[in-house]
Parts: sequence; C-alpha cells; structure tokens
Amino acid sequence: MTTTTLVDRYVYTALRRVPEQQRADIDRELRASIEDAVEARVEAGEAREQAIENTLTDLGDPSRLADNYANRPQFLIGPELFPVWRRLMTMMFTIVLPVVVAVTVIVQLFDDPDFGKVIGGAIGTILTVGAHLAFWTTALFAVVERTGYGKAELRTTWSLKDLPRYEPGAMSRMQLAAFLVWPVIVVAALVLQQFTFTDVPVLDPELWSFWLPLLIVVTALRGAWGVWVYRLRTWTRASAVANAVLVLAAAIPLIWLLATDQLFNPAFAPLADAGLGEDKQWITVVAIAGVGLSALWDVVDTTIRIERSMRGLPTKVAGTGGSYNFG
Amino acid sequence: MTIDATLAGHLQELRRGTVVVASLVVLRTPGYGYSLLETLSAAGFEVEANTLYPLLRRLESQGLLVSEWNTDEARPRKFYRTTPRGDDVAGALRTEWTRLDTAIGDLNPTTPGRQK
Repeated sequence: MTTTTLVDRYVYTALRRVPEQQRADIDRELRASIEDAVEARVEAGEAREQAIENTLTDLGDPSRLADNYANRPQFLIGPELFPVWRRLMTMMFTIVLPVVVAVTVIVQLFDDPDFGKVIGGAIGTILTVGAHLAFWTTALFAVVERTGYGKAELRTTWSLKDLPRYEPGAMSRMQLAAFLVWPVIVVAALVLQQFTFTDVPVLDPELWSFWLPLLIVVTALRGAWGVWVYRLRTWTRASAVANAVLVLAAAIPLIWLLATDQLFNPAFAPLADAGLGEDKQWITVVAIAGVGLSALWDVVDTTIRIERSMRGLPTKVAGTGGSYNFG
Repeated sequence: MTIDATLAGHLQELRRGTVVVASLVVLRTPGYGYSLLETLSAAGFEVEANTLYPLLRRLESQGLLVSEWNTDEARPRKFYRTTPRGDDVAGALRTEWTRLDTAIGDLNPTTPGRQK
C-alpha cells in the first residue's frame, strides 16, 4: 500500500503548482508515464517497490517538473530586465535613499534636535526605506518578468548616443546641468524662506539687509562660473582661482554667522524651544564642520583637476575609483 | 573549475535544442512519452524524463505536435504525432544542423584528424 501512496504523493506535489485547466490531463499522462517506466524496470528484474522509488528519483524534484510543465521561469529577474533593474537599484540607493535620509534628519533637527534621536532616526530611515526601495523595485520587476506587461518598454535599447564623452578639461553639458542645480536651489530657498514658506523665517530676517543678498550674489556668481568654464571648453588657472575665491566668499561669512549665532532666526519656534545648551551647540559645530570641509574639498578637488588637465596628465574615468584613466 | 566541468557545460550548451529536432523527427510515427524517451536514449540522445514530458506539451501548444488519448489498450496513453508544421520546423532545423556541421568541418582543414 505504501508504494501507491508514493506515486500519489509525487503526482499531487508536482501538480498542485500546475495551472488548474491542465491538471487532470497531466495527472493522467504523468501516471501513465511513471507506470510505463516502473514496468520496464520490473521487466529488467527490479522489485516493484524498488522500481517505483528509482523511477520517481529519476524524475527528480516535483517542483522543478511543475515549473517545466507550467513553462514558468526558474529565476526572479531574467537577463533581459536585469540591467534595467540594476540601474534602477543603483539610482535608488545612491540618490533616492540619501535624499530621504537627509530630509528626515533635517525634519528631526527642527522637531527635536537631540543627538541620539537624530542618529537613531537616520539609521532607522536607512534600514526601513532601504528595505522598501529594494523590495518594491524587485517585486515590480518580478511581476513584469512573469506577466510580460510593459516588458518591451522596460527593455534597454542601447545606442551609440548613450556612450559618455570623456573630454578632459571641458565640462560636459550634463555636468554643467548638475552643477547649476545647486545654485538655483540655494537662491530659491533663501528667497522663499524669507517671503513665502513660513510665517516666521528660518534664517534671521535681520540678515536680509546685507548678508543674505551677499550669499545670493556669490551663489549666482558660482553658477556663472560654471557656465564660463563650460564655454571656455578648457580649464585655466584663472578659473581655479575664481572658483576658490567664490567658494571662500560663501563659506567664510556662513561660518562666521554660525559661530557668532547670527544665522538662525531666534523667533523660529522649533529652534527657540529646543535652542538651549548642548543640543544647539553640537548642531552649530556640525554645521560649521560641514560647510568648512565641503568648501575645502571643493577648492582642492577643482584645483587638482585643473592642474592635472593643464599638465596633460591623464584624467580619471568616473566610477572606477581612479584605477582607470583616459587622455 | 576543472576541465571536465568546463567541458560538461559546453556540451550541454551544444546539445540544447537537439532533443526538439529528434522528437519532431521520431514522432512522425505516433508515440507516447515513455516510448519516445526510450527511442531517444537508444538513439544516443541524452534526455531526462522531467524535461521531455513538459517539452512535448510545449511543442503541442506551439502547434508542432498533436496529441490523442489511446484507450484501446489496458493502460490509456497519450500519443503525440508531428503536424505538417512540425515537419517543416524539423526540416528547417535539420538543414541548419547540416550547415553548421559543414561550416565547422570547413573551419580548419589542417587540424590533425580532420584532414580533407
């Protein structure tokens, strides 16, 4: 009796993962095929029980057989969609996740600038948002892979136009566009926070008489510098000096305002509530360090790039960590 | 990876698809799953039951085979037969196989053991 159950168990296990309308027919055919094989083994001298066991072992994992019958892919995301999936995942984790984390940190800073809460919130956001981004992107691709819906649109069509340009010296149009995003955001944020966004501006309105216009002008000049370098099509020492001057002209006043506690509006409620003692102090220290380091990095990085290109030294290919040069 | 594992991988790549041609040719005479399995392994095609049985149904859904239950004998069996379209496909695949064989033979006539 145990032997009949073994075949039953095999067939049921395989067929529960086969579409219903095919099940009855495959059931009948599979049992006939198994019986044929068992019979041949018995005729060759095996005991019937042994023959059944060997036949089923030969047929292998029933879930694999079921996938073959149902013509289901035995992978989550196939090679056609994989490059698109990888590109999207890279973008999610290098752009979307940092932006979300930064926004959470800023919101938390205004809400309750407690060191532990800020760090905890950042880690929590990285874990939850990261898991959601990875899961939903992958789930979407798995569904597309299985239904075929939208697959033609997602498939990569590559052409020569997609090749990046490797031109030492000149800023590419994409680089210029990326470079201009920051000045536009800064100027817009400075103007809007003063006049529209909030009833009480985040930054001290007193600064509007001199310091904020100065920052706006310097930032706008920085944008103009980018356009100038783009149109020059080559790096010059003058552009390196101009860059350093502009970066310092923005960073030094900012650091001074932060250090002397003049930057933020004392009437801005979240800061006014929490703005006592240590919390405020460490925010100031972190902000000064951030402004100082990014200014230093900008000056050094631009100077090195210009020096290399002026001496005709090879330039690094982006994304290789400096192990691969061109020019 | 050992040289044997490398070879096994390449052999599998090369043999992929031959079972389709062989099945379409053999089933010009109607046959059922197990009989085809026997015929193919006797003819030297390495094929496993768990790939062959689903393959037959796939070829049927593509219109290259038709099937019919035969209940005349004690055990009912599903018999598959190659359709005219299946025959055309098999012909085209065999032509391609012959072309590849000739092309490989012509590649390097000076290789020892393959001299013309």
